[in-house]
Amino acid sequence: MRYPSEASRRRSFRSIRFPAKPATRPSVGRLRLVWGVLLLGVGLLSCNLVRLQVFQAADLVERAKQQQTTYLKPFAPRRPIVDRNGNVVAIDQPSITLYAHPRYFGAFSTTEVAAKLAPILDRPAAELQQKLDSAKSGIRLADSLSEDTANRIKELYIDGLDFTPSQQRLYPQQDVMANILGYVDVQQKSQGGVEFSYQHLLDRAAKAVRLNRTGMGTMLPEGVPNGFVHEDDLRLQLTIDNRIQRAVQGILNRRVNEFGAKRGLVLVMDAQDGGMLAMVTNPTFDPNRYWDVKDMASFKNWALTDLYEPGSTFKPINVAIALEAGTIKLTDYFNDTGAVTVEGWTINNSDNAARGSISLTDVMKYSSNVGMVRIAQTMKPSVYYSWLERVGLGQTSEIDLPFEAPGYLKDRKTYMTSPIEAATTAFGQGFALTPIQLIKLHAMLANGGRMVTPHVVRGLYDSQGKPHWQPQRSMPKQIFSPSHTNAILRMMEAVVAEGTGKAAQVPGYRIAGKTGTAQKATESGGYSASRFITSFVGIFPVDNPRYVVLAVLDEPGGLAYGGTTAAPIVKEVIEVVAGVEKVPPSKADPQ
Amino acid sequence: MFQKSLPRIHWRSWIQPWEGMDWWLFAGTVALMVLGGIMIYSVEHKQAVADWSRHWITGGVGIFLALLIARARYEVLLQWRWLVYGITVLGLLAVMFFGTEGLGAQRWIPIGPFYLQPSEFAKLGVIITIAALLHERPASTLPAMLRVLGVVAVPWLLIFLEPNLGTSLVFGAITLGMLYWGNANPGWLILMLSPAFSAIILGSTPNLLKNIQPALEPFGIGIWLIWILLVGIIAFRSLPWKRWGTFTAVVANLISGGLFRFLWENVLREYQKDRLTAFMHPESDPLGSGYHLIQSRIAIGAGELWGRGLYKGTQTQLNFIPEQHTDFIFTAIGEELGFIGCIAVLATFLLICFRLLIIAQNAKDDFGSLIAVGIFSMWVFQAFVNIGMTINLSPVTGIPLPFLSYGNTALLMNFLAVGVVSSVANHRQRLRF
Repeated sequence: MRYPSEASRRRSFRSIRFPAKPATRPSVGRLRLVWGVLLLGVGLLSCNLVRLQVFQAADLVERAKQQQTTYLKPFAPRRPIVDRNGNVVAIDQPSITLYAHPRYFGAFSTTEVAAKLAPILDRPAAELQQKLDSAKSGIRLADSLSEDTANRIKELYIDGLDFTPSQQRLYPQQDVMANILGYVDVQQKSQGGVEFSYQHLLDRAAKAVRLNRTGMGTMLPEGVPNGFVHEDDLRLQLTIDNRIQRAVQGILNRRVNEFGAKRGLVLVMDAQDGGMLAMVTNPTFDPNRYWDVKDMASFKNWALTDLYEPGSTFKPINVAIALEAGTIKLTDYFNDTGAVTVEGWTINNSDNAARGSISLTDVMKYSSNVGMVRIAQTMKPSVYYSWLERVGLGQTSEIDLPFEAPGYLKDRKTYMTSPIEAATTAFGQGFALTPIQLIKLHAMLANGGRMVTPHVVRGLYDSQGKPHWQPQRSMPKQIFSPSHTNAILRMMEAVVAEGTGKAAQVPGYRIAGKTGTAQKATESGGYSASRFITSFVGIFPVDNPRYVVLAVLDEPGGLAYGGTTAAPIVKEVIEVVAGVEKVPPSKADPQ
Repeated sequence: MFQKSLPRIHWRSWIQPWEGMDWWLFAGTVALMVLGGIMIYSVEHKQAVADWSRHWITGGVGIFLALLIARARYEVLLQWRWLVYGITVLGLLAVMFFGTEGLGAQRWIPIGPFYLQPSEFAKLGVIITIAALLHERPASTLPAMLRVLGVVAVPWLLIFLEPNLGTSLVFGAITLGMLYWGNANPGWLILMLSPAFSAIILGSTPNLLKNIQPALEPFGIGIWLIWILLVGIIAFRSLPWKRWGTFTAVVANLISGGLFRFLWENVLREYQKDRLTAFMHPESDPLGSGYHLIQSRIAIGAGELWGRGLYKGTQTQLNFIPEQHTDFIFTAIGEELGFIGCIAVLATFLLICFRLLIIAQNAKDDFGSLIAVGIFSMWVFQAFVNIGMTINLSPVTGIPLPFLSYGNTALLMNFLAVGVVSSVANHRQRLRF
């Protein structure tokens, strides 16, 4: 039973037409050759597998990892920036970058593609073709296309054109706040201004997430943290008032042209808290077209980057220091001899006049250099120097904008050994500060002696105006006593009413002010006889002091004084601020 | 005692019809099929593109049919050889008229929910036909050899016109292997292939040498002329009509070489040339013709010695290799099972080939022996070209890896081949007592 029966075997054999004939086996040599070829083939494959999987393995593993992972930056537009009243001054809008890969144009030649794109991109076809011929792929053909333009290009149905959506920062106010805002470049990197210093609040995307990518380019959602695509409606609000800023810019630009000045600036500060209402510099730039800027100086917010010697605008501070140090009294008189010699140096009044014994108010009104030297000399150099340090000379204003330069003040030893230092400091020379540091000093006179920190950002607010984050600022230090600052304001009021600052008068408002005309230090040392920095600082209203306005002109042409160039600017600015802020007309002091 | 012996008798009587079967061969093919099923699942389970379960179903049906055929007498096929041949040619004609297009060629016939690929069955059909022809008249005479070539030419041409370059190359390998086994003069076989070699040598060596050193270019042509001389000598020594034969062979080689060079230089476009030579330098077009080759090499290399682990190969799971479940299944093995897995697959193929040669050697007649060698040629060629392709040794031609690649017709045909060759083994003359 183990094998089919012999009968059945026979039957099946009989049915076959060609019975099995004796096999003619190929020679053993042929068998060996076949086996040999087989072994050779397997050997060849094995060797190559060893090459790939042992010797090149590390490199290939690395390549695999590289192509499988991608870093995804969450798609979240940068937070908008709004001014004090909620007007948008910086906002993200979708923008599309067009890449061309001529390798995949297929039936189209680069000439044809260039001709088709030229009218849509509004660029000459020849220029486009030159770009298209420059590489086989990966040509960045156009930036910042609107969705509309991109759609029109898509409708051409040309292969090898690639659209990369991104965000573009739009600045609706154009150049009005450029010096405050800075800009965001095409790589989404913030350059300067609030964009830079508040990057951490403006940029919603904390960091890129590492994701796996498939061969088709799809990113896999595994590993994405919760809240990755969270979006909020928070906006960064400035203290700047767009209306004041815009109006002041018009005034400043006009005046800079009128006086032929190299540059100019106007700062308006609310002295109650140090918030800046306006910060206008000239020249400036349009952050929407930052790449068009030829003069790199335009990018600079020189209100906080450039040092200058403040000149007479420092005199009220000098008086405040002496009063606070207790070495002079409000009722003191000073002998203005027209000139005074310190350490062999002769210091003159600017008009060289000798007025004899004059009151503190007159010292201020006539901007008497000799009077100021006498006031400084009432203090011991060490005391005076401590006061200079105390009011912040040689330091930064700590404004919330980037790249601020600290002021320049010689060291204590110099002041102790050479009395000329204290003498020149008394009328605002021999040290340097930035305009923002100067306005910080004057804010103390306006707010009763408190040292506030200048700032341009109010905080993060949602669209309903609810605060979400506000900067924590230290309590302002009380530096001067209010009675002294009030008295100094009255002296400064006299400057505007009867002295060098008459050009700043605004009918109906009591304005305190101080002119400044400082010779510019030359590169070779010493002071230039023809190049000045003229300035005027105004504080108003004197009966309820709140606003500090500083105007500075760099190298106005001709015979320029603070009283003739900067004061008229301050006058116009005060008119704007009073109107926008609805400042009631001033009342006289109760007798 | 009774209880002990009864199951044994029962078992033996049940297995008895397959007693002469080659279980090593059978186990090897089933093992590859199972591994293929696992790897196809690994490639597909995250995508649900093709139905991975079909491989298992087709494999099961195939195993069943193979066991059924193994019982039957293969000699019957000798009688049916023209029937087999007729069905083969009709199937290929049917593709021409009713076939559906896919991947730029007509290859499939829809039958209900299934798609049949007659070119796959044609491989087995041609093996049986050639075996029968050579069984009658060995290829030791030139007319017998030419008769075989004439008979094979019809289905070969039909497949070539589909166009299906891969399968037509497999046909060439099968024919060559079987003619060699059928005692054809090796010289004739070389002469048969010589025009192709002539074209390749003239097409490649001057350029290769030029890339090394421009002055070496003429030496490439010299090598080609040496080849022509060699062909002339072989023709003179092996052909019966020496003068005319030698003349024809040399002229054929000169023409094919020259024609190919002319086409290469003047007619073929750059991208067509790139496709042919991409496997030698895939990095030159990493996103086009080289993409497949680069990704496949990265996947295999990334497997390292022990592999990333089943279902853990990132190249595989993230779908970096197009067509991975079909022609590039070996890359999944390479990445997830590593060098060890690759060597195991090669060893299994080697075992199968070894058993096929044993069967060919021990078959009771030439028919059986030639069938075994035909199947041997088919699998060896497919495995070498396919694996070679994944590790950038040969161009991408679209030849699947037997038992491992996804492809229902191919898998079914391969198991039918297992059945036929098992029948040869099962019915070999055995020592009986």
